[in-house]
Amino acid sequence: MSTTLTQTETAAATRKASVRTEPGNAVGPSGTAAAPAPEANAQRSTPVLAAARRVTAAAGSGVWKSAGILAFLALWEFGPTYLASPSTKVFLPPLHDVLLAWGKLFEAGTIQGHIAASLTRSITGFGAALVAGVLLGLLIAWYGRLNAVLNPLLELFRNTAALALLPVFTLLLGIGEESKISIVAYAAFFPVLLNTIAGVKTVDPLLIRAARSLGLNSFRLFQKVILPSAVPTIFTGIRMAGTASILVLIAAEMVGAKAGLGYLIVNAQSSFLIPDMYAGILTVSLLGLGVNFLLVALERHFSRWRTAVGAAAS
Amino acid sequence: MTAKISLRNVTKQFTVRATKSTAATTLTAIDSLSLDVRDGEFLTLVGPSGSGKTTLLDLLAGLSTPTSGEVLVDNKPVTGPGKDRAVVFQQYALFPWRTASANVSIGLEGTGADGRRLNRRERAAKAKEYLALVGLAGFEDRYPHELSGGMKQRVAIARSLAYEPDVLLMDEPFAALDAQTREQLQDELLRIWRATGKTIVFITHGIDEAVYLGERVAVLSARPGRLKEIVDINIPDRDGEEDIRSHPAFVEHRHGVWTLLHDEVRRAQDAGHRKILPDGSAPDEPSTAPKDGTVTSERTAA
Repeated sequence: MSTTLTQTETAAATRKASVRTEPGNAVGPSGTAAAPAPEANAQRSTPVLAAARRVTAAAGSGVWKSAGILAFLALWEFGPTYLASPSTKVFLPPLHDVLLAWGKLFEAGTIQGHIAASLTRSITGFGAALVAGVLLGLLIAWYGRLNAVLNPLLELFRNTAALALLPVFTLLLGIGEESKISIVAYAAFFPVLLNTIAGVKTVDPLLIRAARSLGLNSFRLFQKVILPSAVPTIFTGIRMAGTASILVLIAAEMVGAKAGLGYLIVNAQSSFLIPDMYAGILTVSLLGLGVNFLLVALERHFSRWRTAVGAAAS
Repeated sequence: MTAKISLRNVTKQFTVRATKSTAATTLTAIDSLSLDVRDGEFLTLVGPSGSGKTTLLDLLAGLSTPTSGEVLVDNKPVTGPGKDRAVVFQQYALFPWRTASANVSIGLEGTGADGRRLNRRERAAKAKEYLALVGLAGFEDRYPHELSGGMKQRVAIARSLAYEPDVLLMDEPFAALDAQTREQLQDELLRIWRATGKTIVFITHGIDEAVYLGERVAVLSARPGRLKEIVDINIPDRDGEEDIRSHPAFVEHRHGVWTLLHDEVRRAQDAGHRKILPDGSAPDEPSTAPKDGTVTSERTAA
């Protein structure tokens, strides 16, 4: 990259280089550019300027990215004290109160217990949905007749909000772990299933022709062409399922549970421990962010053969 | 010379699906076509669009079966795709999740002709060898999206050569490439053909390309596809360094094929022929329009 930097002086090229450089290794190219060949003396200012611009751009994008979050946190911290009425401040405590409450919960070990309870349920339900959704999806996509029979039924279930069925699950499976795990599995099942079907059905027919001309039999065709080609789409479904599983779990825990983040939030509210309630909410959002980050990283790992432009999955 | 490939009175018909305005009809893509390809021959096939070139290639590849007639390879009827034939497609058809090397070795992953299974290292070695043959040494670990169109087609050619088929079937392989890359790949293909002695059936819509590459050029008629004529190409000094395209013999052959093709192209245009898709549907085909009468009347006259 350093050679292209010294060779090209056009604004477009430097901009391109600055886009490619991650903030972390921005020092490398700028270091080589700062020591130009003698005949390039006249052009020295350009690479130096470009390097400076690049550092500013990296820092600038960081500032812009965190500006929204920082502004929100500042509003949370100072808003209740200076803007809201005293009565509102009770229901909307400033950020440091919430963080203090979170610290206390952490020291006492309660929040870890709630996180563990919630994670166990969502991972179990999510895992079950993953296995069932991918397997059934592959079967349905592969056997057209099965698809014809099951599709209307699946449409009906998919369009029934998972939480509407929560009372049914509770009645049938009780208020224990089974009902909560089942509803998580139910909510996570459909994104996985439908994306698996879509992934298998949208395999490029040309690739299938090519594979058949290479003499692959049906099983090998499925294993070597259809499955790998469907993986990115399946992963989109898995990511959606991850989000859905946490969402539904919290709601389920709010209705009937003795542990879990949803229980923590509702219980704190009814016990009038308002900072504890916000600590629970904050934990839920961080957990959601973490799960999504993990699944995005996994998705990227499994579809790194895709071009950057075509990375957006359906 | 023995015939490597024989087509005997091959007819292929498709049922065009019924649409809102038209009823389902039968469409004849290829009509009683007979053709022999000699062992080790480079045969090019030209024809107007809709003359059943791709249909013909599918039949040879075993991806579809003829409605009537016989397709023989080594005097044995073709029953499906086989390791004795390889197809190179216009759109490369590389597997995007596999590196160049893994794409080339996919045909080697099953049991070979000798009933032996190559292990991973042997496959990689073979892939390397064939990538080097097509001029892509050092590109083994690139993914298809990191390669240019010409390089992708080189990988596709290496993939089809790697499991050592006798016959190479090529469906307009260079049509999507720019003129310079195309000429370069044409020369490379001739070099590979001379080095390996494969039988090549090469479909193209470029007359220059057909005359430049082929020992014989088979000209197909407008739909339904029939063999109009086979032109033997005799250009002296083909292996030399000279610019063959400006040789009088080349120009003469080119004009000959152009004349044969010209009427057919016009007829295909008048009939509004479009490409038949692999599933047998022909979108925009005016199957019941009065213009189609030219085709049906020609069919009965023949």
